[in-house]
Amino acid sequence: MKKIIDKYSGECLYFEKDKSGLSVYIMPRKDYTGSYAVFATKYGSVDSEFIVPNEDGITKVPDGIAHYLEHKMFDQPDGSNVFEKFSKYGGEANAYTSFNMTAYLFSATEHFYENLETLMDYVQSPYFTKESVQKEQGIIAQEIGMYDDNASWRLFFNFLGLLYHNNPVKLDIAGTVDSISKIDENLLYKCYNTFYNLSNMTLFVTGNLEPEKTLEVIQKNIKNTKPFDTEIKRIYPNEPKTVAGKFKTQKISVSMPMFMIGWKDNDVGFSGKRLLKKSIEMEILLEMIFGKGSALYNELYGAGLINQSFSFEFAPQKEYSYIEIDGQSENPKAVYERVCAHIKKLKERGFLETDFERIKKVIWGDYIRSFNDIEGYSNTFITMSLLDINYFDYFEEYQKITFNDILTRFSQQFCEDLCVMSEIQPDKEEN
Amino acid sequence: MIKSISVNENITLNHIPMTKLKTTTIGIYLSRELNRCEASKNAILPHILKNGCKRIESRTEIEHFLENLYGAKMSAGIAKKGNFHILCFEGETISDSFAPNGERLAEELLKLLLSIIFDTKDEFSDDVFLTERQNSITKIKSVINDKRIYANYRCQEEMSKGDIFNVSRLGYVEDMEKLTKEELYSYYKKIITSSLIDIYICGDVDFSEMEKAVKSSLSNIKFEHAERASETILQDKKEVNFVTEKMNVTQGKLSMGFLTHIKPADEDSIALVLANTIFGGGAQSKLFNNVREKLSLAYYAGSVLNRAKGFLTVNAGIETENFEKTKSEILLQLDEMKKGNISEEEILSSKNFIINSLNAYDDDQFEMISYYQGERLMQSDMEIDDYKQKILKLNKDDIVRVISKVTLDTVYFITGVIDAYEKNN
Repeated sequence: MKKIIDKYSGECLYFEKDKSGLSVYIMPRKDYTGSYAVFATKYGSVDSEFIVPNEDGITKVPDGIAHYLEHKMFDQPDGSNVFEKFSKYGGEANAYTSFNMTAYLFSATEHFYENLETLMDYVQSPYFTKESVQKEQGIIAQEIGMYDDNASWRLFFNFLGLLYHNNPVKLDIAGTVDSISKIDENLLYKCYNTFYNLSNMTLFVTGNLEPEKTLEVIQKNIKNTKPFDTEIKRIYPNEPKTVAGKFKTQKISVSMPMFMIGWKDNDVGFSGKRLLKKSIEMEILLEMIFGKGSALYNELYGAGLINQSFSFEFAPQKEYSYIEIDGQSENPKAVYERVCAHIKKLKERGFLETDFERIKKVIWGDYIRSFNDIEGYSNTFITMSLLDINYFDYFEEYQKITFNDILTRFSQQFCEDLCVMSEIQPDKEEN
Repeated sequence: MIKSISVNENITLNHIPMTKLKTTTIGIYLSRELNRCEASKNAILPHILKNGCKRIESRTEIEHFLENLYGAKMSAGIAKKGNFHILCFEGETISDSFAPNGERLAEELLKLLLSIIFDTKDEFSDDVFLTERQNSITKIKSVINDKRIYANYRCQEEMSKGDIFNVSRLGYVEDMEKLTKEELYSYYKKIITSSLIDIYICGDVDFSEMEKAVKSSLSNIKFEHAERASETILQDKKEVNFVTEKMNVTQGKLSMGFLTHIKPADEDSIALVLANTIFGGGAQSKLFNNVREKLSLAYYAGSVLNRAKGFLTVNAGIETENFEKTKSEILLQLDEMKKGNISEEEILSSKNFIINSLNAYDDDQFEMISYYQGERLMQSDMEIDDYKQKILKLNKDDIVRVISKVTLDTVYFITGVIDAYEKNN
């Protein structure tokens, strides 16, 4: 096992690439009561078209299948209930599917190794039958229905629909009631056998544990040891550099309009350290422009145009990337106009270096703070690792960043042509 | 584990040592008894105060101050626990050992919080007052946005008619609109010296330094006698209350309210926690396994216990046409428990679930503070280890005894007008 120490936080990390192809990260946190493990495959809602290693043809599957598969992983060949097994050891299990990843996880404060064995066992035991696959359609349709009513969710997907012409990130993670009706057990097995090959998976474990013993338990519980010799080829449609639309409004029964304003980022196509550095630069830049101490925030808040719900985010991915700011406002148009005017002013007048120095301190605090919550940390770590980023390299990249890097980054971003706004307006008929 | 000292008759300072995390968390809580006349003032006040004080005058200057503390966090808000309405001021900073230049971050943060609460400017500014009043009104109106939360909120509102728990946590639009900044300022002056205030510090700090900082910040203030809130639980009505609201949603939201008839100080209160967990708390529960997994009636189905007010609510997201079926199934599962149809497996896994959650407080400073604060308010002051021991000693008879006291009080339902399939296509 390779051992890496982060001298700033004092934490240490072990890494092993198993012969099955599985990437294993172990991060002992001695004083913690809780432990946490996440077993993830680089397979999310965007992966609907691909070439299986050693096959020639393209496989195309219905939208929402990665999420469907996640639900069906809880069915076991012996009919046992996965949650019950975890409960027996006090483990709390869960799973989620994102655009780029499906993750299976548990948290526990006791019986760590038994919970870990349970996790590894069920994720490696697919069992789909015609009946069980059909039964799930009701539950998932309920889930889709729930998200249809969720204003924040609709705001977000309308936003993605404005940014992207073709990129599948604009599609709902759970698919549609129609697309999921086309899913059967054979398609599930096909996806499982492709994306759940251990060479496409990563296991991250953390908590009060013994690294050598943990690795031993992991290796003992590996079922499929034959890694693919070539990559799974993922096919994404060609995405133009322009945005698909500028504005979209949907009516939902909410008390106050909501907005999401964002910019498409066309500086994509890379991962690893380069992406990590870009991502930290963007964190600093966004905090300087939109943070609570910024002139823009003060202006918008003082004018009553935004409230505490205001937030912002940079989404760094290899295939797509964007900046978004969102919140509630009685007048989203005015927010949009003031934001654009402010960006224009910044393009002309530039930034203060003292603001940069102060915000750099904030980012340091956030980095130190990120070690606190082992669940949050694990999820950040694994999300980054699927982008070929080792989160332990964070400080090294952070240190390199200069005021000039920020200015350069800013000059490449926030192009007005690439700026969009999604809005939710109250459904008046009802109120 | 917790160390408490009385700063004066009203103020208690508590230290929960925790060195394994890389942060220190501070919470200052001012408790009032719930009261319709005070509710809106309590709800808006923390938000006004966090905008500045004598020492650091403006909102932006406060933000810069926090940024210089390596991005320390500060927030203000309002909570409702039992019969208490609690003005909350919270902060968190990376611990001093991670300050690159030896800064005393925790002390700076504590002093900032104290200044904001006690060292207010001589009046509230018009701008701040009007902005925060508008924000407070928005917050009240926003409750309807998330129907899952809204249904549960409405169910509790229906259940607590005639009880002071009915007072809204966020206050009332009509009261907010009438409020003036002068009236609010004189209210502030009155309550700041005549309320119970608990200060919690959780993390790696020198407690005696913290004590000094608190005492010197308060040395010039004269405090007056503070009353504790009463403790009462919700009482039976004549008959079950059925309420239905129609909304433009694809999924119906069911919220059923039950009375437990058990006070937080009762010996049976802990058994009730276990009974509720078996009934509907978590993925090992009867509701999750029957309503969601076995019958596929809902995407979520679970129950939440309010120990302080003696009630629990069951919440589920369902198709409108499944209303009767889901309601019956929930009542059936409750009856099964009353009849003693509870397996040893269920008891064990639910005990594990609770122990697991209690253990997890050990890794989270806000949870830790919240736990002790809750215990203090219920005048139970139970240490976490004692809580665990009590849970582990419970048996099936205890569970059946307490669940048998649980009765249905209110059924609240938001019905949809469009079904999921139509909307999707």
